[in-house]
Amino acid sequence: MERIELENVLPSVFAGRENIVSDVWRKKLSFAKGKSYLIEAASGTGKSSLCSFIYGYRKDYEGIISFDSTDIRNLSGDDWTGVRQRNIGMMFQELRLFPELTAAENVTLKNNLTYFRAEKQIKEWFSMLGIEDKWNEPVGQMSFGQQQRVAFIRMLCQPSDFLFMDEPVSHLDDANSKIMGDILSAEMRERGVGIIVTSIGRRLNMDYDVEIKL
Amino acid sequence: MLWKLLRQHISVAQLAGFFIANLCGMVIVMLGIQFYNDVSPVFTQEDSFIKKDYIVVTKKVSTLGSIAGKSGTFSDYEVDDLKSQPFTVGVGAFQPSQFKVSAGISFGGMDISTAMFLESVPDGFVDVKADAWRYTDGQSEIPIIIPRNYLNLYNFGFARSRNLPQLSEGMVGLVSLNLYIAGNGKRDMKKGRIVGFSNRLNTILVPESFMNSANATYGGNREWEPSRLIIEVDNPADERIARYFNDNGYETEDSKLDAGKMTWFLKVAVGVVMAVGLVISLLSFYILLLSIYLLLQKNTDKLENLILIGYGTSRVAMPYQILTVAINLAVLVLSVIIMVIVRGVYTDALSGIITGTDDVSIVQSCIFGVILFVLVSVYNIIAIRKKIGSIL
Repeated sequence: MERIELENVLPSVFAGRENIVSDVWRKKLSFAKGKSYLIEAASGTGKSSLCSFIYGYRKDYEGIISFDSTDIRNLSGDDWTGVRQRNIGMMFQELRLFPELTAAENVTLKNNLTYFRAEKQIKEWFSMLGIEDKWNEPVGQMSFGQQQRVAFIRMLCQPSDFLFMDEPVSHLDDANSKIMGDILSAEMRERGVGIIVTSIGRRLNMDYDVEIKL
Repeated sequence: MLWKLLRQHISVAQLAGFFIANLCGMVIVMLGIQFYNDVSPVFTQEDSFIKKDYIVVTKKVSTLGSIAGKSGTFSDYEVDDLKSQPFTVGVGAFQPSQFKVSAGISFGGMDISTAMFLESVPDGFVDVKADAWRYTDGQSEIPIIIPRNYLNLYNFGFARSRNLPQLSEGMVGLVSLNLYIAGNGKRDMKKGRIVGFSNRLNTILVPESFMNSANATYGGNREWEPSRLIIEVDNPADERIARYFNDNGYETEDSKLDAGKMTWFLKVAVGVVMAVGLVISLLSFYILLLSIYLLLQKNTDKLENLILIGYGTSRVAMPYQILTVAINLAVLVLSVIIMVIVRGVYTDALSGIITGTDDVSIVQSCIFGVILFVLVSVYNIIAIRKKIGSIL
């Protein structure tokens, strides 16, 4: 997948509003592989909606979203499974981890779909982000900031064309934010992924090619 | 790991409830079939050489008729009318012998001999193996079917009073009967061999081909009208039969309907039992489905998250499908075991009545169990798949 394109997209709940000032809604916008994007937004401007539209679990929007000029409304259930396994890595704002599983199991559950990362690499990320001692701890007993780091590592455990992060550092300090930025920059360099990050205040610390106001 | 996640909220009590309910249903259904297969031969085996759904009719013998010299035979018109009735499958006439016959048995130097009569019915109504029930001209031995009462009369009456050995049915088959036939100025001795005993036909039956040729030779081949008819019906419990006979002044010996009625009642009873079993199976299946739906409902968040991190619907559905199929399979296996045990118990209890259950296999009931298992499992698999597919 080389491009994600949005054309005249608007969440259905916004329909009828005339005074929308946005770089995304009702515009033509394109995310290209190999570039990094920051989407800055105030609360209630539809940031999480945008993520759910692109990731295919909500369809209440007008306009057209397409992957390489294929309208995503035409994708079947199996197509979406493929997209979520190989094309788009998503870090959800609400994380969607399994609290009863340990941090390691949460990551392995994802990695077992494609066996994309070696365990050594995963452990290295755990120690880089300072949660190596949480390896065998159930996620439910971890703080939200720690959980964000687990979700971040889980996102990396698949082949991706794009990495999509919805407020990834809302509960993290600048040091961890910087480490995440470094890991993402390396991913861009080595694998040429496209990176899309949303933020309502705290930014994930890296150099963005494009900054967009939602 | 997927299983660790998905097995949460599984209610052992609900699954146990389903297990027991389905087990009851399955056992009842399978046992019903098996019981029918085991027991139904009891009602048919004794006269296995006579087709089971048949009735013998005669005309009422009245005092007035006897004095007036009425023949009491059936005319062609009456036979044709009977043939055209909706309950009739086939009609055969009893052909009486038109010659004198006496039968004797030589036994330990004693000659027991008695005047007899012979009758025949069309071969289609006699269900003896073809070569045992065949007569060609010049054949020295004539196959005979006699009423079982005759044997009892001998065994419990005659043999007792004369201190003669009692005879089993098998032994009688080995002894040959001397038949002295006379008529039309001729006289002959033939050998008769008893090939079967009948509880239901009070006559001495010989093959029709023998009767035809003997009547021609010794009886002058006179025209005759049958005084008894044998009728094959599709359902002996059909009330139209009784009404028709009543209207026409025909008589049947009621007990002869009994075997047919008994098998009919057995069929109905087993049918009812099986229907109950099926309903229980259906209800238990419904419990399972509800239980699984509830489980899916409780795990909706997990299932949704799994699908969102890239697990396909079929992969998420599989653990639940395997679970239900495994339970169904366990039910099937246990049902077969219980059925075999229960069957052992009732065959012991009925061993005096039932003979030859060894010949009846349990394959038929097992096949039915497997069919039930496959149907339930396939529907479960589809239902789970659909339910999970509807989550996202």
